[in-house]
Amino acid sequence: MKADRRIGGWAARVLVPATVLLSGYPAIRLSAQAFPTKPPKPTPLSPARFPPFQEVALPNGLQLVIIEHHEQPVVSVTLSFRAGGSYDPAGKEGLSALVAELLTKGTERRTAEQLAATIEGVGGSLSASSGDDFLTVSADALSDQVDLVFDVLGDVVLHATFPASEVELARTRALSALALELSRPASLASRFFASEVYGRNPYGRSATRESYTAVTRDDVTAFAGQRLRPAGALLVVAGDVTAPQVQALVEQAFAGWRGAPPATASPPPAPGKRATDILLIHRPGSAQSNIVLGNTTMRPGDPIYYAGRIATQALGGGADARLFLILREQKGWTYGAYASLHRYRGLGYWQATAEVRTEVTDSALSEMLRQVDRIRTATIPDSELAAVKGFLVGSFPLTIETPSQIASQVANAKLLGLGDDYLRLYRERLSAVTALQARAAAARLYRRSELTIVVVGDAARIGARLQAIAPVRIVDVDGKPLTPADLAPPPAPAGPVALDAAQFAPHTDSSSVMLQGKAVGYTVSDVRRSRDSLLYVERSSLGSGTFEQRTTVLLDPADGSVRQVDQVTTQQGQKAETHLSYAGGRVKGQSAAPQQDGSIKRYDIDTVLPPGTVDENAVPFVVPALPLAAGKAFTLSFFTPSENAQKTLTFKVGAPENVTVAAGTFQAYRIAVTGSRVPFTMYVTTETPRRVVKTEFVGQPFIVELVK
Amino acid sequence: MRPLRFLPLLPGLLVAGATLAPPLAAQSGRIAYESFALPNGLRVLYSEDRSAPIVTVDLWYYVGARNERPGRGGFAHLFEHMMFQGSAHVKKSEHFQLIERAGGSLNGSTHDDYTNYYETVPSNRLNLALWLEADRMRSLAITPENLENQRETVKEEKRLRVDNQPYAPTFRNGIIWPYDSTTCFAYAHPGIGSMDDLNAAQLADVQAFFDTYYAPNNATLVVVGDFRTAELRRLVNQYFADIPSHAAPPPVSCASKLSPGTVRREVTDEHANLPAALRFYRLPSHDDPDTPALELLESILGEGESSRLNVGVVRHEQAALQAGLGALGERRGPGVLFAYGIANQGVDVQRLDSLIGAELDSVRSAGVTADELTRAKNQFRAQQVDERETTFGRAELLQHYSLFHSGPADINTDLDRYLAVSAADIRRVARKYLDPANAVIVTVKPGAAATTKTGGSE
Repeated sequence: MKADRRIGGWAARVLVPATVLLSGYPAIRLSAQAFPTKPPKPTPLSPARFPPFQEVALPNGLQLVIIEHHEQPVVSVTLSFRAGGSYDPAGKEGLSALVAELLTKGTERRTAEQLAATIEGVGGSLSASSGDDFLTVSADALSDQVDLVFDVLGDVVLHATFPASEVELARTRALSALALELSRPASLASRFFASEVYGRNPYGRSATRESYTAVTRDDVTAFAGQRLRPAGALLVVAGDVTAPQVQALVEQAFAGWRGAPPATASPPPAPGKRATDILLIHRPGSAQSNIVLGNTTMRPGDPIYYAGRIATQALGGGADARLFLILREQKGWTYGAYASLHRYRGLGYWQATAEVRTEVTDSALSEMLRQVDRIRTATIPDSELAAVKGFLVGSFPLTIETPSQIASQVANAKLLGLGDDYLRLYRERLSAVTALQARAAAARLYRRSELTIVVVGDAARIGARLQAIAPVRIVDVDGKPLTPADLAPPPAPAGPVALDAAQFAPHTDSSSVMLQGKAVGYTVSDVRRSRDSLLYVERSSLGSGTFEQRTTVLLDPADGSVRQVDQVTTQQGQKAETHLSYAGGRVKGQSAAPQQDGSIKRYDIDTVLPPGTVDENAVPFVVPALPLAAGKAFTLSFFTPSENAQKTLTFKVGAPENVTVAAGTFQAYRIAVTGSRVPFTMYVTTETPRRVVKTEFVGQPFIVELVK
Repeated sequence: MRPLRFLPLLPGLLVAGATLAPPLAAQSGRIAYESFALPNGLRVLYSEDRSAPIVTVDLWYYVGARNERPGRGGFAHLFEHMMFQGSAHVKKSEHFQLIERAGGSLNGSTHDDYTNYYETVPSNRLNLALWLEADRMRSLAITPENLENQRETVKEEKRLRVDNQPYAPTFRNGIIWPYDSTTCFAYAHPGIGSMDDLNAAQLADVQAFFDTYYAPNNATLVVVGDFRTAELRRLVNQYFADIPSHAAPPPVSCASKLSPGTVRREVTDEHANLPAALRFYRLPSHDDPDTPALELLESILGEGESSRLNVGVVRHEQAALQAGLGALGERRGPGVLFAYGIANQGVDVQRLDSLIGAELDSVRSAGVTADELTRAKNQFRAQQVDERETTFGRAELLQHYSLFHSGPADINTDLDRYLAVSAADIRRVARKYLDPANAVIVTVKPGAAATTKTGGSE
C-alpha cells in the first residue's frame, strides 16, 4: 500500500543541503536503522527545580516577590489586592469590576488617554481586572522601560481620580457587556452555576442591570480608598530585572503609601442542598446544550486537595481522561468534556462540563453522572493512576517556562495561603497519593446526592427528557421561572389558507403606476398555466427604465403554493438577481436588492419558515385567490427576499364597492393590508377570475391602476 | 558535551550551538537556528535552548482550507482530527495518552494555508514526540469508525465555536465574502465547513487527502528547546528518512482584484443581544511589500486602549462596547482585514457603522501622527519579544518565516522592515486597501428571528 506513494525519481532530485554533509551524521547510514514498532523509552530526566525568587516584606505590609529571569528583555508586574467581586456590597455587585476598570481611566497627573498612550507608546500595557477574591493591576513592557512601568503603576494605584464622566462611560459599557454576556451560552451557564452552588455567599453573586445601575461614584472612591491598601497586598515583579533595582523602584513609586483594608464580616455560608436537581436555562434556538455540574468542595489549605486533584484529573483533566475519551472519542457527542477543581480563598468548588448536541443532552448528562459515580466508588486502576501522576508531575516544568508563568504560580500560592513549601513539595505530594486516597477524596468532594446541575439549551426540546434524570426547574436567561406552557412555540400565523384554484385561470393585467395623477411607469402581470405548471410573471418599469424588474414565480398548479422565485432588478444600470427555492418548510438561495444609495444589499438565504409561508412577490397572485368574502380576515406568513425577513400580514376584507380606473368600472372588495413595511389597500374584483384593479399605499403618493 | 560547530548558514549570521550565552542573543532579539533536509524532502529546522528541560516538536504540513474542493469545505480540519485517531503502531486515543502521560501537552490546528501538529514535552521525551509524528506521517489509521466519530466531533466543534455563538456565523461569512468562489474557492469558503459538506466526506477522501498532502516533502519539522543536536539528527533520520516522498500537490489559484465596488449586507443574528457593525477589506498576500505598513496601520487603528477605534468610537462617541481591527494575513494568497464594533445598548447600528468608517477614512485623508507610528513600532517590537518567550512560540515563528517569507532567516531581519515604515507609507496603504470600493460592509441586527427559532433540528 505504501509503495504506490513512492514517486520514482523524486527523491533523487531533492537537493541535499550542505548542512547534512557537514553534520557528520549522514542520513543514509542512519536511516538504515529500522523504525521502532514500539514507543521509544524515556531518556534520563533532567530535574526541573522551581526557579529561585526573593521575598521582601515591606514596612507598610506590602509583600514583594522578585523573580529574576534574564532570557528575554521583558518585565511584568502584578499587584493583587483582596478586593475582588466577593467584597462587593449586596445590591452593588459589579462595584469591584468598575473600580478595576476605572483605575486606569485618569489620575491627578494623567487622563485616561494619556495613561494609555504613555504605556502603549513604549510597547507596554497596563490593565486592571477583578476576579472573585482579588483585584489585580498588571503592567508589562520591555525591561528597558521598567522605570516607566513603576511610575505608571504607582500613579494609578495611589492617585486615580475616578472622573464622573469615566464612571458613566464605564457603566454604559458594563451594561452592554452584560447584555453580551447573556447572549453567550458558556457565560450563562457559569453565571447560573455559581448562583446555584453558592446562593447568597459572595461567590454566587453576579452583577445585574440593577446592581450596575445602583453603583455611585462615591461607592467607587470609597471601595478603592478602603480596599486598595498595601497591607495584605502582593506585588510580584518578574523578568529581566535585578532585586536591588526593583526594591528602589518600589520605594519610589509607592512612597508614603500606608494602611490596611478594613476587616470584613464572614460571608454567609453556601446553602446546603438536599437533593440533586437540574436548573434548565431556556435559550430558544440553542444549537447545543451546555452542561455544568458540581458542588462546593474545600478551603485552599485542605490536604485532601492532592488526592482530589488526582481523582479530578482521571475523571476529566484532559484528552487522556474518562469524560473526554467516552463522551468525545467513543460517542462523538461533544467537542470536549472536562472536570476541574477550583480554589478560592474561601470555599472552593469542582465542576464537570460538556457542550453537546441538543438531541443527546440527556444521554450525555447520564453518562457524566455515571462517570462521577464510578470514580467515587471504584478504585482507579494502577496504570491509570500512573498516567495521571505522569501528567500532573511531569508537566510541571511546562507551567513555569516564562517569567509571567512563574510569577502566576508564586502569586497563586501566596494569595491562597498555600504555605511556603507548596511549590517545592507539590509534585512530591501528588506522587504520594494512593488509589484508595483518590477514591476517598472523590467520594467526599463530589457530593453525588447533592449535585447542582445547570443546563443551558432549548428547553422546549430537552426539558421532558431531563426530567427523567432529576427534578427540573426551568428559567429564562434572566432567571425568571418558566412553565412548560411558556415553552410552547410563539403563536404562528394561522397557517396555510386553501386558495381557490378557479382563480388560477390564465390572464394578463396591465397597470399604470401613477404619481400624483401622472403615469411614471407600468407593471404587467401574467398568470400562465399549462397541464402541470403554473407561473406568475410580473414585469415593471419606472422612470423611463431607470428601474426595471422582472419576477417569475413558479407555483404548484394544485394548491398555488410557491416553489421558486427568480427576479432580476436593474437600477441605473446595476443588475441584481434573486433566486430562491421553497421546499420542505425552508427557503434557500440568494437575494439582492438595490438600495437608495446605489449599493446592492445581498443575502444568502437559508431559513426555516412557518407552514404556508408565501413569497412576498406573489402577493398580487395570492390575494385574489383567497376565499374572499366581506367581513373576513386572513393572517398569512410572507417572506420578503429583499429584507431576508419573515413577516405576518393581515388582510381585512371590506364590503364590495364600485371602483373606477382606466380599464373601466368594477365591483371590487376593499382589502386593507397591515404588517408590511408600508400598509396598503388593494381593490380586487368580485368576478372570477378576480383581478387587482387598484392598489394604494398608506402615506405614499403612488397608486397602481388597472389599464387593461 | 560535543564541541561547538559553527556553520555558515546565511551571509552575516553565525549560528552557534549549546553554550552560546543567552542574554546577548535575547537582547539582540536573534534566534539561533540550524537547518537540514532529508533526501525525501522533509525540511528540518532546530534551535537549541537549554534554559528549561523542555522541548517543542512542531510539524507543519503545507495544506489547509485553501486546498479544499467545492463540496468538501471543512475537510482539511476534519482530516486534522483523523491524525489523532491512531496509526500503524499507535492505537486510537493513544497519541493523547502517550504525550500526556509523559507530562507533555499537544494539539493541532488547521489554518488556511497550513496545518500544524505540535507537542511540548519534558526534554527526555523528545524521542516519543518525534516517533509519534513519524508514525502518523508514514501510516495513518484510516477507518470508517474513526471517520464517523470525528465527523460528529467536528460538527460539535462547529456548533460550539460558530453556530451557537453570537456574531460568529457572521464573522465566518464575512471573511469569505470579499472573494468569489468561482475564481478563488480557496479563500471564499469557510474552513470550518458546512454540515452538508461534513456529512458528504467519504473514507476515500481521507485516504486521497493523506496521499496528496501528508508527505515529507510537503512538510517542515521544527524542534526548539532542550536537546542535543546529534541526538536530534539521529532520531529524525531514524524515524523519518525512509518515509517516501510524493508528487508535489496540485497548485492552488486565487484570482481576485482590489476594490470591485462596495457591497453592503445586513444579517440577523438570533443569538445576539446587541447590534454589531463589521467591515471586511481585501489584503495582499503576506509576502507583499505592503504588509509591514498594513500591520502597523492595523495597530494604530484597532489594537490597544490608545488605538483610534477605541479612543474615537468607544470612548468619545460612546457608541460601542468594544471596537477593534484585525487581519487574516498569514496566507500565500490574498488576505482579509476586518474592523468591528459591538454597539452599546440603544445605539443605532448605522451610526456605529458610519463612525467606524469615519475613523478608517480619517487615516486615508489625513494620515497618522509621528507618535502613533512610534507606538505601533514599539508595540510590534514588544510583541516580537513576547512571541519568543516559549519554545512553542519560537517554533511557530521559525515555521511562519519558512512558509510565508523568503526563508527562516527573516526571523532575525523582519523587525527592520517594520522600523523602516514611514507615515507616508501608512497613508498610502490606507488609501489603497481601505478604499470603500474594497469593502464588504455588514451590519448585524439582533434577531427576534422567529423564522429560525421555530425551526427544528438540522
